[in-house]
Parts: sequence; C-alpha cells; structure tokens
Amino acid sequence: MSDNFSRTPYSDGHAATHEEASKPHYTTTTSSFSRTPVSPYLNYDSRYLQQAQPEFIFPEGANKQRGRFELAFSQIGTSVMIGGGIGGLAGVYNGLKVTKALEQKGKVRRTQLLNHIMKQGSGTANTLGTLTVLYSACGVLLQFFRGEDDHINTVIAGSATGLLYKSTAGLRTCAFGGAIGLGISSLYCLYLIAQENSSNSSPKYL
Amino acid sequence: MAEYGREPCPFRIVEDCGGAFAMGALGGGAFQAIKGFRNAPSGLGYRLSGGLAAVRARSGLVGGNFAVWGATFSAIDCSLVYFRKKEDPWNAIISGATTGGILAARTGLTSMLSSALVGGALLALIEGVGIVVSHYSADSYRQVSPVERQQRYKQELLRQQKGVSPLAATYGEIDSSAL
Repeated sequence: MSDNFSRTPYSDGHAATHEEASKPHYTTTTSSFSRTPVSPYLNYDSRYLQQAQPEFIFPEGANKQRGRFELAFSQIGTSVMIGGGIGGLAGVYNGLKVTKALEQKGKVRRTQLLNHIMKQGSGTANTLGTLTVLYSACGVLLQFFRGEDDHINTVIAGSATGLLYKSTAGLRTCAFGGAIGLGISSLYCLYLIAQENSSNSSPKYL
Repeated sequence: MAEYGREPCPFRIVEDCGGAFAMGALGGGAFQAIKGFRNAPSGLGYRLSGGLAAVRARSGLVGGNFAVWGATFSAIDCSLVYFRKKEDPWNAIISGATTGGILAARTGLTSMLSSALVGGALLALIEGVGIVVSHYSADSYRQVSPVERQQRYKQELLRQQKGVSPLAATYGEIDSSAL
C-alpha cells in the first residue's frame, strides 16, 4: 500500500489490491473534484462538502429584501437634497445675473444673493420632494393591497404620481402628467430588467 | 416593512431628511386641508376645492421646513457622535439647540438664542419621556438569579398546594373544645 496519499486520486470503497494500485484508477466523478490533497486523518472526503453555495440566515417572518417602506425615506431625502442642490446652483446663477444687472454692491448684493439661493433652492427641493412623497405613498399602498413588490408597482406608482401631480390643472395636462410618469417609470424598469438579465442577479425593486 | 431600523450615521442624514419631509408634507397637508376647508365659502364643492387648493399651495412648504430641520439636526447629531464618541441624550439636546439657533441665524441674535432655547427644551422633553418609558419597562428585562428564581418557584408551589387541598383550612377551623 502506498503511503503517498497526496498523489492518489479518490477511488471507490473497495480495497485496492497490489495489482490495481500499480496502475492509475480514475472514476467518472474525478473531473468535477479539485486536485487539492486529501488529509489521511479524515474518515470522509471533504471535497464533497465544497460544492455548496453560501446560505444566509433570515429571522422568522422577515422578507429577504428591503421593501418599499424602508427605501421610501431614503428616496425622499435624496430627492429633497438633489433638488435643493440644483435649485441652489440655479439661484446662485440668477442672483449673480440680477445683482450685476442692477449694479448692486456690498451688503445689498449679499442679501439679494442669499434670497435668490434660498427661494429657488427651497422651491425646487419642495417640488421634487412632493413628487417623491406621492410616488412612495402610491408604491407602499400598492404593495400593501396587492401583496406583491415588482416592476408593475413601479410603473403604476409612477403613472399615478404624474396623474395626481397635475390633477388640478385640467384633463389634458393631467393625462400629459400621467404619460410622463408612465414613460419615466417604464424606462427605469427597462433599465432594471436589462441589468437583471446581464448580471444574472436578483432584482432590487424601488 | 414590519421591522424598521435606522441607517448608520452618514446615511442617517438623508433618511432623516426624507422622513421629516414626509411627516411635514403629509401631516401639514392634513392640517392645511382642514384649514382650507374651514376658510372656504359655503357649499360642499367650494369647501372641498378650498381644502385641495390649500394643500397644493402649502404642504410642500411645510414639508420643506421639516426637511431642513431634520437634515440639520441629523447632521449635527452625527457630528457630535463622531467627535464625542458617545450616543446619549445630550447629543440630541445639543443638536436640537444648535439646529434652532442655526436656522434662525438670519433674523438676529436674540431670535437665535430664543430658538435655540426652544429647540433644546423640546428635545429635552422628548429624551426625558424616552428615559421615563425605558425606566418603567426595564424591570421586565432584568435578569433573575437562580436563587431568586428557586425561591419564586417554591412560593408558587406552596400557593398551589394551599389552593388544591381545602382540607387544611377545614383542619384549622376545628376547635378542640367542640370535640
């Protein structure tokens, strides 16, 4: 019997005779195993255990991904901050233009600049924040009543947001707002589906 | 959705801003609906359209004010957590006072100080209520030593024995002079 266990491939359970040990004996499952050495002190082959995927442990009753309610506040905060940033930059530009045209200097110019920045920044932030509150509220309500969380919720929530936001501006403008919401949410869902098909991972619904 | 936890500290600023905006927009929308309903001319159609117009006009502004407050408060709170390396009620109180002071900065020093006092007092009340609630609910989380648990078990066993056997009470009532 050879003592060199590292070089001997895994064989069946029958005892190898001296004649069979001299020539190599390969089984059909050898190609799926790795060529790492096997410890002679183990009474089982550890290579059988290396084929499992990592498993995650979830608390009982918990979802396996974040729902819409957990993501709603982050979405609203992100929209408000982005809107404030964009509005603030536009306010800086408008403030500089107006104060240069009126040839204002010193404290008056500083006050006018601050007024333009804060008015336009808060206006844009409130608009984007209100839109995101409507979108998140529609999404959470759809998730609650349908019991599902998928791309259909995203499209319906986007369309409902556009309809609701322009609901008091006449029927044509209301339909136009709904169409814009439908278009933006559909493009976003197509982007998610394309990412899902390319990376072959589980989708992350927003 | 059943289990909601807060984000770690840099992302908490964005999430608190969003939560504050949602609270201000929806809650403020409800209040503005009531105020617009009451302030409208007589007639159900006029009142409903008045409420809707008030919500459209002012709920975004209320939400924006709440969002600014929430974002500033959370940013200062995260800064205090970073510098003090502690998380305790003093962080919230200092953050509330500083937020009140900062957001009133354009209206003068006296207004800054009074807003800072109001913010600090408000957060002190909130943290005080939290401390009282946790104090009263802490007894159910207290660990019990094995000796105390055994004593409680014996007391419960004796109580059950007294309840099960009514003959003991009967024996206690027997008077020797009546025999």
